[in-house]
Amino acid sequence: MSNLATQRKLVEQLRREGAIERKKVSQVCKELITFCEAHQQSDALVAGFTNQKENPFKEKAGCLII
Amino acid sequence: MSAIVDEPSRISPLTQNGDLHSLHHAANGDTIEELTKEVEVLKKKLEEERAKFNDVALNVVAQKLDPITSFQLKSRRSLKGHQSKVLALDWSCDKRHIASSSQDGKLVIWDAFSTNKEHVVTMPTTWVMTCAYAPTGSCVTCGGLDNKITLYKLSTDEDISKQKRVIASHTNYISCNQFVFSDQQLLTGSGDSTLKLWDVETGQLMQTFQGHQADVMCLDISPSEAGNIFLSGSADHVALVWDIRSGQYVQIFDGHESDVNSVKFHPSGDAFASGSDDATCRLFDLRADRQVGIYKKDSILFACNSVDLSLSGRLLFAGYNDYCINVWDTLKSVRVSILYAHENRVTSVQVSPDGAALASASWDSTIKVWA
Repeated sequence: MSNLATQRKLVEQLRREGAIERKKVSQVCKELITFCEAHQQSDALVAGFTNQKENPFKEKAGCLII
Repeated sequence: MSAIVDEPSRISPLTQNGDLHSLHHAANGDTIEELTKEVEVLKKKLEEERAKFNDVALNVVAQKLDPITSFQLKSRRSLKGHQSKVLALDWSCDKRHIASSSQDGKLVIWDAFSTNKEHVVTMPTTWVMTCAYAPTGSCVTCGGLDNKITLYKLSTDEDISKQKRVIASHTNYISCNQFVFSDQQLLTGSGDSTLKLWDVETGQLMQTFQGHQADVMCLDISPSEAGNIFLSGSADHVALVWDIRSGQYVQIFDGHESDVNSVKFHPSGDAFASGSDDATCRLFDLRADRQVGIYKKDSILFACNSVDLSLSGRLLFAGYNDYCINVWDTLKSVRVSILYAHENRVTSVQVSPDGAALASASWDSTIKVWA
């Protein structure tokens, strides 16, 4: 695609984007926090495992039977 | 979101064909200078419009949240076998197998539990820059400097390289590829500055996505199938949001000062994280249509190659050229931890599908699993 066509497309997109409906940052931040709080308990990387035995990558203690 | 999804219907189909007459009406500029000027004016207006909605910073809203104190991630596995830089990795849906591709021209399928190599495929090219597991886990695709994506069917009994098929091609290197919700469709991004959607069964090109002005470095598909949108990041410093059906981009996100190497949807589907050569990571929100978070430090000087988010979206994992993986609290915009173990650049990080582990690939020729 030529540079001219690319620029035309960009102008059109910027016009369209100027007209889209936006949410306030305060509102979307609250929603991101709400989502996070709702899922944080099941997020093992944040909350850790309640029991290390649930960690599939935990090294086995002692001898390993092959 | 509805406003965004509805947008492409307003685009005249003629403009897609490059019909100059119709374009003349759509965008008045005749010369590149006029158009460039108009772009500047429109960008300024857009910035003003976005600023009106920027009433508070994310880390201020998140102030009341408890800090993350329980964070404890250890390197539990080291997958060794590649002869050179590992450039990409992808988890299987079984949360156990990992595909990786390397500058040594090999595609390896690992059992991450046992660290065994289940398959090793030699590609006709070096610099295999991207690999992807199909959603069912039955096949893997990869490609890079060969400008092609080759699909391998995974079977337990025989040499999987006998079952290969080329399903996609570009006019320059392929930097990224990802299946779209099923094993039937594949999206690819390339150094030729386009992304393409392919029918996996027939290898037929279904759509070309044109809009980036430089190499496409990364892509990510919305976690919500109804969204029908995906992200791309490019060496032109911007990230674009695309409508899969119309083939048009619907939102532009700028802010990065250098190549956007990685984009990843927030699990809510309403925002995305990015990593860049400018040594920063950022969080952009689709509904606010702007950047809402930035993750940087004066002491972090090197490029960020890859990012991923934990299951709740609270943690952002980012792999850098300084051999580190930085772990950021996305909401409070502070660094929670630094993961050291790699002895060279970290090229790729990915959280396992169940969110229990993190895999990282490096120029040190290893892949590490953190849990």
